[in-house]
Amino acid sequence: MKFDKLKRIIKEGLHDMSIIWANEMKMTVKDEAVLIFFLLASTIYPFLYSWIYNNEVVREVPVAVVDYSHSAESRKFIRLCNASPDVKVAYHCTSLAEAKDLVGRQKAKGVLYFPSDFDTNICRGEQAHVSVFCDMSLMLTYKAIYQTAQAVSSQMGSEIQLASSTGFTDRDDEVTVRPLEFDEVSIFNPTGGYGSFLLPAVLILVIQQTLLLGIGLAAGTNRENNRYGELIPIDQHYRGLFRIVMGKALCYFMIYALVAAYLTMILPSLFHFPLLGSLRSLIGLMVPYILACIFFGITLSCLVRYRENVMLLVVVTSLPFLFLSGISWPSEGIPAFWKGISWLLPSTFGVKGYIAVNSMGATLQDISQEYFALWAQSLIYFFTSCLFYKVQIDRAIKQEKEDLDTSEVCQDTI
Amino acid sequence: MNKLTRIIHIAGRECRILVFKNPIYIFCMVVIPIAVIFFMTSVLSAGQAVDLPVGVVDQDNTATSRQLIRTLDSFQTSHVVGHYANVNDARNAIQRGEIYAFLFIPEGTTGGLSLSRQPKISFYYNSAYMLAGSSTFRDLKTVATLGSAGVGQQKLSAIGKTEHEIRAFLQPISVDLHMVSNPWSNYNIYLSSTLVPGLLMLMIFLISAYSIGTELKFGTSHEWMRMADGDPWVAVIGKMIPQTIVFLLIFYGFEFYIYYVLDFPHPGGVWPILLLGFISVVASQSFGVFIFGLAPSLRMSMTLCCLLAMLGISMAGATYPVFAMDGALQLLSWIFPLRHYYMIYQINIFNGFPLLYAWPYWAMLIVFMMLPLFVMRNIYRAMLVYKYIP
Repeated sequence: MKFDKLKRIIKEGLHDMSIIWANEMKMTVKDEAVLIFFLLASTIYPFLYSWIYNNEVVREVPVAVVDYSHSAESRKFIRLCNASPDVKVAYHCTSLAEAKDLVGRQKAKGVLYFPSDFDTNICRGEQAHVSVFCDMSLMLTYKAIYQTAQAVSSQMGSEIQLASSTGFTDRDDEVTVRPLEFDEVSIFNPTGGYGSFLLPAVLILVIQQTLLLGIGLAAGTNRENNRYGELIPIDQHYRGLFRIVMGKALCYFMIYALVAAYLTMILPSLFHFPLLGSLRSLIGLMVPYILACIFFGITLSCLVRYRENVMLLVVVTSLPFLFLSGISWPSEGIPAFWKGISWLLPSTFGVKGYIAVNSMGATLQDISQEYFALWAQSLIYFFTSCLFYKVQIDRAIKQEKEDLDTSEVCQDTI
Repeated sequence: MNKLTRIIHIAGRECRILVFKNPIYIFCMVVIPIAVIFFMTSVLSAGQAVDLPVGVVDQDNTATSRQLIRTLDSFQTSHVVGHYANVNDARNAIQRGEIYAFLFIPEGTTGGLSLSRQPKISFYYNSAYMLAGSSTFRDLKTVATLGSAGVGQQKLSAIGKTEHEIRAFLQPISVDLHMVSNPWSNYNIYLSSTLVPGLLMLMIFLISAYSIGTELKFGTSHEWMRMADGDPWVAVIGKMIPQTIVFLLIFYGFEFYIYYVLDFPHPGGVWPILLLGFISVVASQSFGVFIFGLAPSLRMSMTLCCLLAMLGISMAGATYPVFAMDGALQLLSWIFPLRHYYMIYQINIFNGFPLLYAWPYWAMLIVFMMLPLFVMRNIYRAMLVYKYIP
C-alpha cells in the first residue's frame, strides 16, 4: 500500500514538474526581456568583448626621446627600442619639457632621456644611465616601455661587457658575461595576451549574471501578473516544492546547456582564444556550475518585487564579482571579509575552475576543490530555493482559502 | 504658476517618491554606490600583489641553490610555498591553482658554475593570471639575474676589481625608472579611480531611465505632465534635480574619499576634480534620459543602459588601451561617457596637465549633456500616449 502511494506521488510529481517546465518554457519564449538576457545578452555580449580584446597585446607604444648625448651609443639605444615590437620612437624632442608636453597631448606614453654623459660613461667604463619616464595611467603601456628599455639596456650591456672582457677565448668571455644562463617560460597563455587572460573569466561570469537577470525578470513578471503580487499562481499543479523548483530549473538548464556550449566551445575557437580543456572536464565543470547559478538565481528571485528592479540590482555586481573571482586581482590579496563573500558566489569557483580547465588544460581531479564547492553550492541553493518557495506556497494556499471564504460570504449575502 | 514654481513642485514630488514611495531608490542611489566605493577601494587596498605563492623544483640541492630560493622568498611579491620533485609535479600544482610560478634548478647547477660551464636554470610563470604571472615573473627574473651577477661579482673581486668597477661591468647601462604620479605602481590608484566612476555612472544611467519609465509603469505619467503644464522640459528638469543633488553628493563624497582620505595623487588640484564630478553626473543623467527618449519603454531603455554602461567600462581604455583595439572600436569609444571621464581624469587630474589638453573630451561630455534636446518630444509623446508594456 505504502509503496503504491509513493509511486503515485512520484508519478504525479513528475507530471506536475513537466507541466511547470512547459509553462516556464512558454513564458521564457514569450517574454521578450527574459529572452533578451537569456539569448541575446549571453551571445552578443561576449562576442563584443572578444572583439574588444582580440588584439591581445599592445604593440608600438609611442615614446618621445630626449637625447642630450648625441652619440653613436645613444642612437643605437634608440634604434634598438624602435626596432622592438612593443615600442615606437614617435618623437625626438630637444627638452624634457617638450617631451612632457607631448605626453600631455596623448602623442606619447613615455619618455626616454639620455643625459649628456651617456656615452662618456660607457667609454670610460663607468655605469651609464638612461631615464625612462612612464605615464602610469595605463599599466600595459608602462610595462611595454619599461620592459623594452630593460631588454635593450641588457643587450647593449652584454655587448659592452664582451668588448671589455679579458678572457682567452670567446667562450670564456660569454661565460664571464653570463655565468648562469636562464630560460623564461610563460607556461600558460604564452603570448601573455590580455584577451586570453580576461575573456574566459568574462564568459563564465556572463552565464551567471544573465541567469540571475533572466530568472529575476521572470519572477518579477510572475508577481506582477499575479493578482496578489505573489510568486506562484493559484493552480493545482503548483502545490509541491520539488516539482516547482525542479520544473523551473529544468527549463533554465536546457536553455543554458546550449548557451554554455556556445560560450565555452564555439566562441573561443572563433576568436582563437585558448581551448585546452577536454570535453569531459568541461562538461564535468559546467553542469554543477550552471546548476549552482540556477538555484542561486531562483533563491535571489524570491526577493524581487518589480521586474525592472532586477536590472538595478544585478548588473552593478558584475564587476565586483569579477574581482572576487581572483582573476584580475590575485585572491591572496583580497581581504578576508570579501573572500568569505566570494565563497557564496558560483562565479568564484566557476571562473577559477574554467580557467584551469580551459587555459591550463587541467583535469577534473586538478580542480576537485572547485568542483565540490560548486556541487555544494548547488545543493545549498537548491534547499534555500525550496525554503523560499515553501513560504510562497503557504501564502498562495492562504490566499486561495481567503478567496474561497470571501466568495462564500458573497454568496451568503446574495 | 511660472516655470520655476512648477519645477520646484515637481522636484518636491520627486523627493517624496525617492524617500517614501519606492525603497529601491535609496538603495540604488545611496547604499549600492557606497558599497561599491568601499568594495573596490578595500579589495585593492594592498595596492600591489604581495606574497604570491610560488614553487621550487630544486634538483641541485646545494648551498648555492638554497641561497637562490631564500632570496626569492625574501621578495615582497613572492612567497615560496612548495618544493616539488620534478617539473611535472610543479606544473600540476599550477594547474591546481596552488602556485603561480616556479623556479627550476637542475642537478649540477652549482658544479657547472664553479667549472664555468654556464649552467642553465629556468623559471615558469602562469600568464593565465596576468597580474600574478607578471609579478612573479619579475621576481624570478631578478633572482636569476642576481644569481648570475653574484658569480660574476665573486670572480671579479678575486682578480682585484673595486666595487665601483664591478658594478659598472655587471650593468654597463642602468635604466632609471620614473613612474610619474604613481611611483608605487599602486593598483588601487590605477583601477579604483576609473572603475568606481564607471559603476556610479551605470547606476546614474539606470536610475534616470528607471525614474522616467516608472511614471509610465505606475500610471502616473499624466499627473506628472499635468504638474509641468505639458512642458516636458519642466517635467524632466524638475524630476532630475533631486537626483542630481543626491548623485553629486555621492560622487563628491567618493572623490573626497579617494583624493583626501586615501591620498590618491591628484597634481591637477581641486578644480578639475570638482568640475569633472559635476559634468560627469549631469552628462550621465542626460545620457540616461536620452536613452529613454530613444527607446521609450522602461525595459528596453534599461537594457540599453546596462549594455552601454558595462561595455563602457571596457571601452574606457583604462585597462586595455583604446589605441590597441580595432579601428572601428576606436571610433565607437567616443559614445561612452566613461571614456571621456577616464581621459580627462588622467590628463587633468592624475598627470596635472592644463584643462585645454583634454578639450575634446570635455567637449564630448558637454555634448552628452545636450543630448536630451533631441528626444524631449519623444518623451512627451511617450508619457501621454504610450502604455506600459511589461
